[in-house]
Amino acid sequence: MKCARCLLQLQGLRLQGLQLQGLQLQGLQGQSARSAAQHGALLQSSSQPHMLRNTQHQVIRRFHRSPINDKNQPIPAEFIDEDDNKKDKSLVIHDDLFEQVARETKTKATFNKVVEVFIKQDVRRRGHVEFIYAALQKMPEFGVERDLAVYNKLLDVFPKEVFVPRNYIQTMFNHYPRQQECGVYLLEQMEGYGIMPNVDTKVLLIQVFGVKGHAVRKYQRIMYWFPKFKHTNPYPIPKNLPEDPVDLARFSLARIADDRDAKVTVYQLACTDITESGEEITLPHVVGIQSPSQMELLAQHNPSRPVFVEGPFPLWLRDKCVYYYVLRADPVPPEEKVEEPYDPERSLAYPLQLDLDLDRDLGDEESFDVEDLDEGAVFAMCMTSQGDQAVLNQWVSGLQQNNPILGRVPTLFRLEQGPRELQGAHKTKSDHQHRQDPQTQREEEEEEEASVEEELRRSQGMKQ
Amino acid sequence: MSLPKLARLPSARLLTSVLPHHQLLLPPLSPLTIPCRTKIQQDYRRPGQPIQKEPPLNFNFSKGIKNIKKHFMLMKDEFFGRFVGPQGKPLIEHILEQNLVIWEFRGPESLKQWTVSSDQEIGGQSEAHLKMGRNVNTCFLHGKLCTTTPRDGETRYSGYCNMRSKIPKASFDRKKHYDWTSFNTLHLRVRGDGRPWMINIATETYFSHQKDDIYTYFLYTRGGPYWQEVKIPFSKFFLSHRGRIQDDQHPIWLDKVNTIGFTLGDKAEGHFQLEVDFVAVCKDYAHTEEFAYEMYERNPKN
Repeated sequence: MKCARCLLQLQGLRLQGLQLQGLQLQGLQGQSARSAAQHGALLQSSSQPHMLRNTQHQVIRRFHRSPINDKNQPIPAEFIDEDDNKKDKSLVIHDDLFEQVARETKTKATFNKVVEVFIKQDVRRRGHVEFIYAALQKMPEFGVERDLAVYNKLLDVFPKEVFVPRNYIQTMFNHYPRQQECGVYLLEQMEGYGIMPNVDTKVLLIQVFGVKGHAVRKYQRIMYWFPKFKHTNPYPIPKNLPEDPVDLARFSLARIADDRDAKVTVYQLACTDITESGEEITLPHVVGIQSPSQMELLAQHNPSRPVFVEGPFPLWLRDKCVYYYVLRADPVPPEEKVEEPYDPERSLAYPLQLDLDLDRDLGDEESFDVEDLDEGAVFAMCMTSQGDQAVLNQWVSGLQQNNPILGRVPTLFRLEQGPRELQGAHKTKSDHQHRQDPQTQREEEEEEEASVEEELRRSQGMKQ
Repeated sequence: MSLPKLARLPSARLLTSVLPHHQLLLPPLSPLTIPCRTKIQQDYRRPGQPIQKEPPLNFNFSKGIKNIKKHFMLMKDEFFGRFVGPQGKPLIEHILEQNLVIWEFRGPESLKQWTVSSDQEIGGQSEAHLKMGRNVNTCFLHGKLCTTTPRDGETRYSGYCNMRSKIPKASFDRKKHYDWTSFNTLHLRVRGDGRPWMINIATETYFSHQKDDIYTYFLYTRGGPYWQEVKIPFSKFFLSHRGRIQDDQHPIWLDKVNTIGFTLGDKAEGHFQLEVDFVAVCKDYAHTEEFAYEMYERNPKN
């Protein structure tokens, strides 16, 4: 409905344009004539005499014709401008146009300017398919790849109503395949960047390719499937991630903790200090998270068994990768496990254990026939910009304020290479396979270091 | 045209269930149905490239004996399993089962049921490796995603990594399928790194142009050190063909499921990891939806 109204409005506009110019032209031709006249006027102000001459001639040319006819027609010598001709023969002309502009600044405004320049160059929009392909390729450079208005502007480059099939046979076959492919390509790029087209896009597509063109079909498919999958992610990520690393750490820790009671603590903010000797010391931020249940687990931990600081583990937030560290223990051996009965008075409103023998049907078994994985409890998580032992020690000593048991438990560090190496290095297959082995070796080495480590940490804890 | 063909080529499973004593006649029949599977199982072939001739068979006597032994053992199991009940399980268990663990990872042997592929087969640079998790009870899929397209002038997108289960086989390499008709939900226990994955279910098809039809849905991972139980109803799976969603959708047919796969292709370059504990199917009585997408004709022919 809406679309049809828009079309009607456009038609009305076009008719007005015709009336204003006082030219007796057919409805089909009106658009080009009007735009040509407008461009003529625009260019007049910019004082380009040869272009003006061209456009004036084109205004007089009346009837809409197919490009095939144009080829056969001998072109009057006076129409050909020498410079223009040379330019048109070059295949990379449109890339050049973008490159010229790109030398100065790459913004949305300059991108739009290039498109406008192209639209004004020629009423017939010669080479518009190549131009659109070139423009689509340049979009990420100009930072407009997620801008719907720019896509609509590019669609506007297509000449209107030339590619609309006029009978059912043309509809049946692939009418103007190059142009339709280009239109679909544009929509596909939009789809790839996750941009939902709007009614303007639809009106433009219908004007260019008719109601049953491939591009319009593509539009319909996007409009059907995009809203379906818009909210499928149960762990949504905001479109713009927080810039501040501490905020980002807060967000990602809350995401991985999966516990609304978990409390985020900022142990240290990033700051730069200058010592007395004039050295610059940069302190990284340390943000941790711990939930009440994790604290409870840690309080029950057997102090003779060590806890481990492990990491860095990657976490992806859309296309950003952050790293976190985990304080955990090894699984409790079966002989040490104690089944603690639920305290029935812990929660009177909601009993934690129900032993009802409901009348269930034969074979109503809802648990899976799988052994439970026992990986050891996770006690806390943290994120920091600099994951070395000294920084993580600060985190553990910060944790110690709320978990006094950490003072009695040996803490071991099982750290892999830092995030920077992880991101940069090209790991080969063999590297991956061997990674497990050095880790266990390192564990043994660290066991010896641990006592030293622990004392160091305690002394730090005392100072605080 | 296709009707006589259908009559001449009854599926191996149907035949075995109806006529158990025809078991011995099956091996001669099987070559008629095998080409479809070998087509699915061969490596990726770029469209337009010539089909490579298979290398000549090299005979190995001890291997042959081993294979014969294996196949006859399988046949024996199939034959005597029938006396116990359908699919070798007692009838009461078969009728009443509410959930079934299809794949679990206990020991390195279980990794042999899976294949890993990445866009290296089309000329990309992604890597994917499969290994056992730290406590040898899970499977750990890791690698690196790279979206650099191969420089062949026609490939526009690249960057995927893929793990797919192998097609189950009965004795003498006959086709065998999973029958999940009595379940309505896929149940997974995974631990990812926050990246979105896709779950692909490939079912048996009749025509060769349908061999790339897969039913797909998304698997969102939360990341972090905790495991995540994911339940995906089969009604949500939609049909796609070579990465394109199809217009003509229909609910997945669960009577002949061939493979299940996990695909990553989220355009974020870098390392990835996914740990899978088990893949199971279950029956969720609270879920009554048949198909999540519209079934009416959305493209009126006027």
